[in-house]
Amino acid sequence: MSHAFDLTLLLLLTASALAAIRTKDLLGAVVIFSTYSLLLCLIWQHRGAPDVAMTEAAVGAGVTTVLFLVAIGKTVRRER
Amino acid sequence: MLGLLWTNIDYAASVGLFCIGLYCVITKNNLIKKFIGLNIMESAIFAFVVALGVVDGGDAPIMGAGARPPFTNPIPQALILTGIVVAVSTTALALSLIIRIYRQCGTIEADELREME
Amino acid sequence: MKRALTAALLVLLALPLLYAVAQLPPHGSASSPPYTHVSPRYLERGPVEAGAENVVTDVILNYRGFDTNGEVTVIFTALAAVLAVLLGVRKDAGPVAGEPRAMSPVSPVVSFVVRLLAPFVALFAIYVILNGHVSPGGGFQGGAIIGALVIVTTVIVGRSQAEALVPARARRLLQAAAPLTFVCIGIAGLLMFGDYLAFPRVADLAWLRTAWLIAIEMGIGVGGAAIIATIFWTMGDE
Repeated sequence: MSHAFDLTLLLLLTASALAAIRTKDLLGAVVIFSTYSLLLCLIWQHRGAPDVAMTEAAVGAGVTTVLFLVAIGKTVRRER
Repeated sequence: MLGLLWTNIDYAASVGLFCIGLYCVITKNNLIKKFIGLNIMESAIFAFVVALGVVDGGDAPIMGAGARPPFTNPIPQALILTGIVVAVSTTALALSLIIRIYRQCGTIEADELREME
Repeated sequence: MKRALTAALLVLLALPLLYAVAQLPPHGSASSPPYTHVSPRYLERGPVEAGAENVVTDVILNYRGFDTNGEVTVIFTALAAVLAVLLGVRKDAGPVAGEPRAMSPVSPVVSFVVRLLAPFVALFAIYVILNGHVSPGGGFQGGAIIGALVIVTTVIVGRSQAEALVPARARRLLQAAAPLTFVCIGIAGLLMFGDYLAFPRVADLAWLRTAWLIAIEMGIGVGGAAIIATIFWTMGDE
């Protein structure tokens, strides 16, 4: 049961990584990257590493995503 | 070998994610997209190192009142905490450099920057 | 052409890596060398030797304290570098400088929810910092939560009002709080026990061990929050 849960999370992780690099709209890519960070946090929480999961959640969703959004706001929105 | 890879699917997924990130860094033109690829590479390495210390049915390594063995290995987690902080620092610095480049040169596509000066 | 070549090269890179990864001890087995030789020693003697029940906090602040010292220096250096890159540039230098940007109005839903939740988030962040040695958490996690709270407050009330959250007179001191705390505790260890960043090992000074751990965590938390907030304000400056 928990093995299936882990496999699903890994599959979603790979899918979101592929989606993040294929999206031409940079705002969409950053949002998908934020879900990648969330899935990584869930995998670590399920495996018994709560300290790393909490750091990844606070940093991935709270800091990295916001900094990316500020950078996109100051530069371009779409990739050419 | 495929059977061995199936039991170690966490490690194989980390290798796959690392290669996806590296592909993004090499082939994409936009600097911000390259940087998303770099972050994916870093996260793949973090996932690999934490997965090295995981035990089946392992609990968090906190020796409180209701703690039952087995516990996950605490050493890789401590190393990765430092790694995550360093990744955040490089993200902040790289994004400010990208903002500055855009202000100076008007573009953040790598091939146009290469032809500029 | 470039993409196909890169993809082929990456497949060639991935094959030896996958072969090497398949030879590692099975994932999650209880008989792998790190689990049988390395971790039992730290799990058994960590809380007694190092003063915290959370063994990960033990490892990062006591057994590998120099690493954490370097980590807080790295994030402080990143702040210094961001300030050096983005400040002090005249706004009209370059082709895209000086365009006025339209500010979108703040949504009332976001504003209401943030005002409602901010005290609870701040309380939770302080709890995470102070309780980091007995539960999952620690200095940097709580600091990142406070930093995120300051960022979202800046979004709804504007920068000039949100800057009151990091008091102006103490700002440089707060940003440097993490490395400064480490160096102070390290020098205290040097004066009292003979080595830089030496923790007391005698059994009846166990309260001092835990007190130093909490002091370092508070320093890292406050420093991390100030650094994250300042990086956001510098990058978002018009």
